[in-house]
Amino acid sequence: MSDDDPTAPRGSDPAAAAPAGPDSGGGPLSPAASLALIESERGRLLRRRGVNPAPIFASWGIAWLIGFGLCYLAAPGGPSAPLPMWAAAAVLVALCLAAMVVPVVQGVRAGRGVRGPSRTTGAMYGACWALAFLALATVNLTLARGGLDADLTTLLWTGSSLTVAGVLYLAGGMLWQDRAQYLLGVWLLASAVAGVLAGVPGNFLVLSLAGGGGLLALALYYALRRPAGGARP
Amino acid sequence: MTEGWPELDPVIHAQARLRVMVTLSGLADGDRLTFPRLQELLEMTAGNLSTHLRKLEDAGYTHVEKTHRRRTPVTYVSLTQRGRRAFEDYTARLEALLANRPDGGTGTTDH
Repeated sequence: MSDDDPTAPRGSDPAAAAPAGPDSGGGPLSPAASLALIESERGRLLRRRGVNPAPIFASWGIAWLIGFGLCYLAAPGGPSAPLPMWAAAAVLVALCLAAMVVPVVQGVRAGRGVRGPSRTTGAMYGACWALAFLALATVNLTLARGGLDADLTTLLWTGSSLTVAGVLYLAGGMLWQDRAQYLLGVWLLASAVAGVLAGVPGNFLVLSLAGGGGLLALALYYALRRPAGGARP
Repeated sequence: MTEGWPELDPVIHAQARLRVMVTLSGLADGDRLTFPRLQELLEMTAGNLSTHLRKLEDAGYTHVEKTHRRRTPVTYVSLTQRGRRAFEDYTARLEALLANRPDGGTGTTDH
């Protein structure tokens, strides 16, 4: 008889099958206490398995404010450059990569110990990002080498990367019925269009202040709106 | 066990099992949770958790699946359709009970 579970971690004593008696929770629950317990458990779960949009928006907001801000300062047509353009672009890319890590970490934490359809969906969605950006980089590098001028190359990179990222967030919002993610996608698409319309040094300013500022405002909104997380232990 | 509240499902109306039900109902349809992860989320001992899971399983509310992954035994736990419905009924009844509370629960419905 495989009666106790074999995966039980160390220290599970053989008295496992003891009657539930006293540990079933001490005394009968009143309906109000029961409802309160449901609420507090949901809050606990949200903190331990849930996805918190505030840090996701905040990390994107910071990446854009600083990254695109430096690009604006360093751009040929812009104000005096505190650093070369390539360095500004490198800072931007590094900050954006860091911002992409935040939802991944949250997703991994939420998916720990889970098997089933949602895990497959998550893996396919993750692969989407890699495939999309690989294709995008190949297309853009080829076009740029084909003789596109510097300004157009800049607009091509910012416009296309933000569009692809925006569409992927829209898809993520649809997959997980997550309005925050969908909203982020819409914001990225709007920023992509506004940036390209603004033209070269101005596009960086639009992305830094309007784009980054908007993302930080959203982060603040979600930080304030998020429930305190149920009862304390 | 549910002295004062016969309308509440006695299988669910106990602190530990209620917590198990809340946690499992948070999974997406068709998803399962490993036993150790469930134990970690609930902060219950393995023995205590398996005792309560067995009661829920006997009522047909949860499904416990024991398999092997690369020769290591793994136990997955999930809510059955029946369990999901029972939990929804339970919370609906709780809310109804509390809504009728103010006057000690007279059966009258005001129009």
